[in-house]
Amino acid sequence: MWMVRPAKPDDLKSILALAGGMGPRLSSTLPRKDEALAARIEQSVRAFQGTTDAGESPRFLFVLEDTDTGAVRGVAGIDSRAGHGQPFYNYRKDALIHASHELGVSRRVEVLYPSHALTDHTLLCTFTIDPALQGTDAFELLSRARMMFIASHRHLFTDHTVVEIQGVQTESGEVPFWDSLGRHFFDMDFETADQHSGALSKTFIAELMPSNPIYVTLLSQDAQTALGQAHEKTRPTYELLQREGFRAGDYVDIFDAGPVLEARTDSLKTIVSSLTGTLHGSTSEEGEQCLVCGGTQMQFRCTLAPIAETLKGEVKVPVRTWHCLGLDAGDPVQVSPC
Amino acid sequence: MLIIRPLQESDLDALYAMAQSAGKGLTTLPADRDLLLRKIRHSRDTFDQRCAPEAGLYLFALEDTGLEECVGISGIQARVGLDEVFYNYRLSVTVNASPELAVHVRTPTLHLSNDMTDTSEICSLLLSDSHRGGGNGLLLSRCRFMFLDHFRKHFSEKVFAEMRGVSDQDGRSPLWDALGRQFFDMDFTDADILSGLGSKSFIAELMPKFPIYLPMLPDQARAVIGRVHDNTAPALKMLQAEGFNFNGLVDIFDGGPVVEAFIHNIRTVRDSFDRTVMIRSDRAPASTSDKGTFMGASGQGARAQEMMVCNGSFKDFRITTLPADCISIDTISLSKEVARALEVEAGDRVRIAPLKDASVNTIYSGRDSNHAGKSFGA
Repeated sequence: MWMVRPAKPDDLKSILALAGGMGPRLSSTLPRKDEALAARIEQSVRAFQGTTDAGESPRFLFVLEDTDTGAVRGVAGIDSRAGHGQPFYNYRKDALIHASHELGVSRRVEVLYPSHALTDHTLLCTFTIDPALQGTDAFELLSRARMMFIASHRHLFTDHTVVEIQGVQTESGEVPFWDSLGRHFFDMDFETADQHSGALSKTFIAELMPSNPIYVTLLSQDAQTALGQAHEKTRPTYELLQREGFRAGDYVDIFDAGPVLEARTDSLKTIVSSLTGTLHGSTSEEGEQCLVCGGTQMQFRCTLAPIAETLKGEVKVPVRTWHCLGLDAGDPVQVSPC
Repeated sequence: MLIIRPLQESDLDALYAMAQSAGKGLTTLPADRDLLLRKIRHSRDTFDQRCAPEAGLYLFALEDTGLEECVGISGIQARVGLDEVFYNYRLSVTVNASPELAVHVRTPTLHLSNDMTDTSEICSLLLSDSHRGGGNGLLLSRCRFMFLDHFRKHFSEKVFAEMRGVSDQDGRSPLWDALGRQFFDMDFTDADILSGLGSKSFIAELMPKFPIYLPMLPDQARAVIGRVHDNTAPALKMLQAEGFNFNGLVDIFDGGPVVEAFIHNIRTVRDSFDRTVMIRSDRAPASTSDKGTFMGASGQGARAQEMMVCNGSFKDFRITTLPADCISIDTISLSKEVARALEVEAGDRVRIAPLKDASVNTIYSGRDSNHAGKSFGA
């Protein structure tokens, strides 16, 4: 069975292995170094335990575990406040109308404004999964488990939720948007900048970007084409998030111009359709396939199970699901249909 | 004889012919009769003091007195940016530095500016093909410095010139194609003509107002920023010899440089000196009539240095050139004909400055030498 649970210090090696399998990704918030990742996991543990330091905002990290083997096959996170205390940078796509009364012409001029308007919105981040699981139930479980967590801990999160989607990158690792813009100000390729970003912070790098707006028309043709476009391999993620109710807005990533998807937290499909009930066992494997989650703090679990519901608000799940969730009969659970 | 004088309405035909043959390069004087006539009238009003000094446009004609025709023109605009907005790009540097990343990157950046507002501009130099060479271009250009020197209160302390930037035979400018065109959707020449016709508000309405980071422009566009058109290279050299320097501003269309100088530092101004007019009998040749004759730096036997001689009149400003050997310690001897052309009489003071770049004989050590002598108690 597939199960999503909070990341633990023991998961360090597995998560590093997953992260290492991905290409350079400047916008990823997943550290690649032992100490940085260990610190990040510690931070997540504190967040789940509700002992986040004053002045810090909770950052949650979940892993996807195969309960049969105990192997960790994916990782995903929620930052309750994007930027977590630092500015969260994006470019906002905007337009100026350059019109001349004298010449009778009117022209739309596309401009990218550096913005940190999305700072402090809830951010879904760090989604990384074993490529073999792309598009499977496990994939959907890992992504949506976060929405289940938000639904059951709504007070920890803001009214708007955003997700950054990786932008266009060629097979040889070149990022057209970076090459046309960011590169000039760093004199380094995307991969090198990515390493710095991992070692320091994305904000650190973003603050070295030019502070003035950028005219889109002066970008290379490839960079203009890449503007707001998602990387081909993110398509399953993109589509899943669209089904959830996320939409690409006016914001793009400052390095690769990938789209930032936005949604009102309370309008997300998983959150709208989720309901609470009490857990009961069932011998039957019949029922509608649903996401089900329960447990508090580090015992939070989310899994997929066929569920039968009674009129009394009882949620009947097969025994093995019950075991997987680590709950007892009568405990409250949250359910959302697939 | 060639003489500099204020431009008149009767010069319109000659001016129109010159503007036509100049083609597309000269935007301040398009071949448009109505516009040229308006400019001439504006200039007349300025010399007649019928308009405010800061609104003045001073246009000078180079007249060939033999042909009784205007064969060249040059001008001074007393102040730019008063009625319309005067735009340039300022070429500056944005530094992006981070010790942690060992990054220290300098990014040349263009900022739209109106920095030349309220400054005097020398402009509109045009010389008929038939009179090219022989220092006529120099005379047309440098006569303005003598005027500026005489009437400093009408001008700003600093004076500048916009130099024509790089474009090819078809009038295509690499900077325009990479930058302006992205925002205007028209050819460089069309935009330049519009700008020359005085309709400048469209620039404000259509040009990008945020800084332009140069690395985002193609190499061929970056290469022409601050560079002059090959045809303008001699003019730039001449102005540099006068003490003009690139001031960091470039034309927003073609990237041509703006050069500037303080009036008191201009070489023609520094090297000028005053003499009292003596009218000599037309029969006696200049070089033998006067015992106190001094030759130019090139010495005996060589041709005497050409000097500009200026009458110092505002309304009837005149300059002509004479060989240096008619100048003595206190006086300059003029023939009756020259005196008439300069509108001076015996006993009037005239100001004199060398026409060419050759070093000036120490005898003409400048009119300030007296002051220097006094202050050092010599």
